[in-house]
Amino acid sequence: MKLLEKLKIDCDFISSYLVEFVRQEITKTGLKRAVIGLSGGIDSTVSAYIAKEALGKENVYGILMPYKLSSKDSIEDALKVVKETGINHKIVEITEPADAYFNEFEEMDKVRRGNVLARMRMITLFDHSQLYQALVVGTSNKTELLLGYGTWYGDMASSLNPIGDLYKNQIYQLARFFNVPESIIKKKPSADLWVGQSDEEELGFSYDEADVILYHLFDLHYSTEEVIKLGFKEELVKGIFERVKRNQFKRLPPIIAKISKRTVNIDFRYLRDWGL
Amino acid sequence: MKIAIGQIDTILGEVDKNIRKIEHYTDKAISEKCDLIVFPELATTGYGLRDLVYTATRESENGIFNSLKEKSNFIDIAFGFAEKERGYFYNSSMYLSGGEILHIHRKKFLPDYGMFEEQRYFSPGQSIKSFNTRFGKTTMLICEDAFHISSHHIAFKNQTEILIILSASPFWSDHTSMKWEMWENVCRTSAQLNGYFVIFSNRVGFEDGVGFFGKSFIVNPNGHVMDEAPFLKEVLFITEMDLRDVERARLFMPIMKNEVCNETFGKAEDRL
Repeated sequence: MKLLEKLKIDCDFISSYLVEFVRQEITKTGLKRAVIGLSGGIDSTVSAYIAKEALGKENVYGILMPYKLSSKDSIEDALKVVKETGINHKIVEITEPADAYFNEFEEMDKVRRGNVLARMRMITLFDHSQLYQALVVGTSNKTELLLGYGTWYGDMASSLNPIGDLYKNQIYQLARFFNVPESIIKKKPSADLWVGQSDEEELGFSYDEADVILYHLFDLHYSTEEVIKLGFKEELVKGIFERVKRNQFKRLPPIIAKISKRTVNIDFRYLRDWGL
Repeated sequence: MKIAIGQIDTILGEVDKNIRKIEHYTDKAISEKCDLIVFPELATTGYGLRDLVYTATRESENGIFNSLKEKSNFIDIAFGFAEKERGYFYNSSMYLSGGEILHIHRKKFLPDYGMFEEQRYFSPGQSIKSFNTRFGKTTMLICEDAFHISSHHIAFKNQTEILIILSASPFWSDHTSMKWEMWENVCRTSAQLNGYFVIFSNRVGFEDGVGFFGKSFIVNPNGHVMDEAPFLKEVLFITEMDLRDVERARLFMPIMKNEVCNETFGKAEDRL
């Protein structure tokens, strides 16, 4: 069996499961609408298709949030998703608010700028969640979550995330299943936070490599040595393991200093769906 | 015999509302002339209770069950509930018949690995007992109980005719299997080797992203899945079963006949 084949999912079952997840987890709160940031990338596209199936096109709001340096393809592809799904959409430029913030500082490196853009988009989405009485549907996949390749309280922020337990390769499987526009499947993955950014160049490895390594390390409980024996470079496997460890904080709410006998999230323990 | 499975979703920690739903489906099953209705594990409370065990558990004699007891004059009812007794909590199931509690089973094997935290909150039951109903010798297991081969052995040695498994089984899958395949394997094997019916009643709904997949089913004593409820959908699922099939299966494969009691069954007092 080829290693990547282990990531194969039954798109029929998984998609109907995710549609039910979005429908039930939103409607049980008393709401019926979703807001999604549409980047024109594969992740937000798949989330949008799931949300549309779950809630109906009239209840889904795709928000496009370009910055002046964003790639033109991003907007065009996001508009294709709007057209194909028939969901509502709105274009909210974040150039002015982002630049107003950037202008306060002499110099900002691209990581700081990228984080500000991601968080400006988060502000916009949560503002529209109040406006439309909708929940923000997340678009971070499992590969990103494990690698910590995202902005904490930026693109990683949402109310519920249908695709957070699917590796990048599995997102592509669902994208093909939903028949999303071909240009979205074909283009190179990019956070588009600066001109010419490429996820795989920035990370230094391909998503397929990362997916296979992560799946064996964490889903199948292989040791790093065992994963190396599958045919990966030691440096790559150990580097990925360290990334996952270093970014654990991004996957959790802030820690709280325990003082009392019952501390929120330590021994005051309830699911979020309490009473729902 | 007409069996109903109430493949329901629950509201986490809202006991009154959940019991009303159990009553509603019981009424429907009565109007459909069913003989027995089986609900899932923790049907009165939902599954991921955590600190809600302090408020969502009830004593088995609590008046909140009176209306269901009353209805059990018309249909036998088995349901999972979060039980409280003298400050301790149990993941239990109650079998009602003829207006009375006929049996309470406390989950013996409480999972505490992976996503599960049951053993943190619940005390384990001490035994698995079989009991007589108007349909025959019956044994109840709750979810994880059924993953222990010793539970099936007890059901076998007690000459069970109907094995009821109440479950809140979460969905997962990997490159080798889907979760429900495991349940089908377990229940079909148990039914076939032990020559009894298995009723697998699983809940639906999501709790903080964990999806309970439904797909409740009944296996006949030949190990054949007679009918299966849908994936993820709340339904009242009704199946006819012919209790004579137990005898027919045992005529064909009289497995118990060749068991040597002392060796296989242990001490006599363990037997019902």
